[in-house]
Amino acid sequence: MLLEVRHLTKRFGGLTAVSDMSFELDDGDIVGIFGPNGSGKTTLLNLISGVYVPTEGQLVWRGRELTGSGPHEIAEAGIVKTFQNPQLFRELSVFENVAIAGHLRLKRQIGWRRAATLLPWYGAASADLSERIHHVLELCRLTPFRDQPAGSLSYGGEKMLGVAMALMCEPKLLLLDEPGSGLGQDDIRNLDEVLRDLRNHGMTLCVIDHRVGFLGNLADRAIVIHHGAKIAEGPPQEVLRNGAVIEAYLGHRHA
Amino acid sequence: MKSLLFWIPLLLVPAVVDNNVVLTILIFTFILGILAVSFNLIFGFTGQLSLFHAAAFGLSAYATYLSMAHWGVGFWLGMLVGIIFVTVISIVIGTICFRFKLRELYFAIVTLAFSELARLVVLNWSSFTNGTLGINFTVTPFLWMPGRGVVPVAGTMMWYYLSLTAVALTVFVYSRIVHSWMGRCFASIRLNDDLAETLGINVFRYKLISFVAGNAGAAVAGSLYAFYSSYIDPNYFSIDQSLAIIAMALLGGREFVAAPIVGALVLTALPHVIEVNAEARLLIYGLILILAILVMPRGIVGILAGRRRAA
Repeated sequence: MLLEVRHLTKRFGGLTAVSDMSFELDDGDIVGIFGPNGSGKTTLLNLISGVYVPTEGQLVWRGRELTGSGPHEIAEAGIVKTFQNPQLFRELSVFENVAIAGHLRLKRQIGWRRAATLLPWYGAASADLSERIHHVLELCRLTPFRDQPAGSLSYGGEKMLGVAMALMCEPKLLLLDEPGSGLGQDDIRNLDEVLRDLRNHGMTLCVIDHRVGFLGNLADRAIVIHHGAKIAEGPPQEVLRNGAVIEAYLGHRHA
Repeated sequence: MKSLLFWIPLLLVPAVVDNNVVLTILIFTFILGILAVSFNLIFGFTGQLSLFHAAAFGLSAYATYLSMAHWGVGFWLGMLVGIIFVTVISIVIGTICFRFKLRELYFAIVTLAFSELARLVVLNWSSFTNGTLGINFTVTPFLWMPGRGVVPVAGTMMWYYLSLTAVALTVFVYSRIVHSWMGRCFASIRLNDDLAETLGINVFRYKLISFVAGNAGAAVAGSLYAFYSSYIDPNYFSIDQSLAIIAMALLGGREFVAAPIVGALVLTALPHVIEVNAEARLLIYGLILILAILVMPRGIVGILAGRRRAA
């Protein structure tokens, strides 16, 4: 068992954004989280990635309690998230963006010897990530843009760079917050290929989307949430025929 | 290699220029250059507007002198005491500010408050610091030099090369940091600290490292400045001094490690080029700050370089 979400609840003042949510993720799972706008999908991801501290409930990651850890600790433990609205270091080049994201890789590789690389007689070689950066850029089809400022990419490119940066962190579990929203057909196809690549490499993915078609094909399992609570879980095609799910999306009369 | 073109002419200046005023201006430029360069590590590279820099400068000046006077240590050991003292204080203040995630102006205001606190302590602890009157030095630092043994650090030539070496070393050390993986962490904090955090960068730790490393540079500058001018008083901590440091960094350019030295040169030379009194000087600092922001937001070196910086 990779991640266990136990009775996770988040209240903002009087508003309950996520209520009593429980589910499990196994190694290699591709899980899609569906739900209409405002159903608490992004809040759920922010809880898992440590951006928010849960009001109640626990996160157990590979048998270790992670509840209350900060985002950088959770990233270091192996859970990395991309943002719905791409977050980038806009002034820096695509290459440098990915290089910054290589921080954890460097830390895992050489640990405290990082400090020694600052000494003048230390060559830069031991702290070199460029080979890995090229690999990630290639995987995300960003190689042609490597020297462009990240802020000059198209929207699809920005989203892809977000994925590239997350991959550079070498996560065990990658959380993708609406990776397909606002993308054109070409970008969607591109994204789909990248995610399939990742699946073939055995990465565990947890993807949020309200675009049911795109996610339905990719995910092995769907979790549907509505008003912050889980209303269905199971194989995507089956779940999407579920009456409660149709009601949540389309309203009472269609159910 | 390009940087050598910058330093070699400075080595040769005393051979060509036999004017004490010019050399004195350059000595002050180098020492204040250390101050401005170290400030820029926190401000330009990590994006945190610290107003504690003048205080770190002053605290180290006092700590160096007082440790020499009371414990009888030599100048270099005294400077080390100054650096350690400032480092400890910076860790405390940095921890308070960064644990509470103070951003932008809140950080500036809280560091300003700590800076004023330090100034008031020095001002009012007269038995120890001699209050407003300040302290005139009668001691001279000594330095071991290859081939000449231990010699007193006195005279313009000696100070010229000592301060030049110090500023060159400062630039070297900070360049090493800025152009490493740690510099990338600083840049990530400056540009988008929320993103940095989700990428696994311990934002608190690297803000603190930047703050402490910057203040340690100010400590070196403080000790040198105190002994070059052989006088310390609570004005070292003044808000004017903080403003001057910001003006140097903005004027020289925030994007390059050595650029604030150019700002230090302009602000040091200016009062000698146009004779002005202290009040008018503040006015000029203010005007320069406004002009620098409006006309050349990237500073003198930024304009000369023309190209945007790498990381």
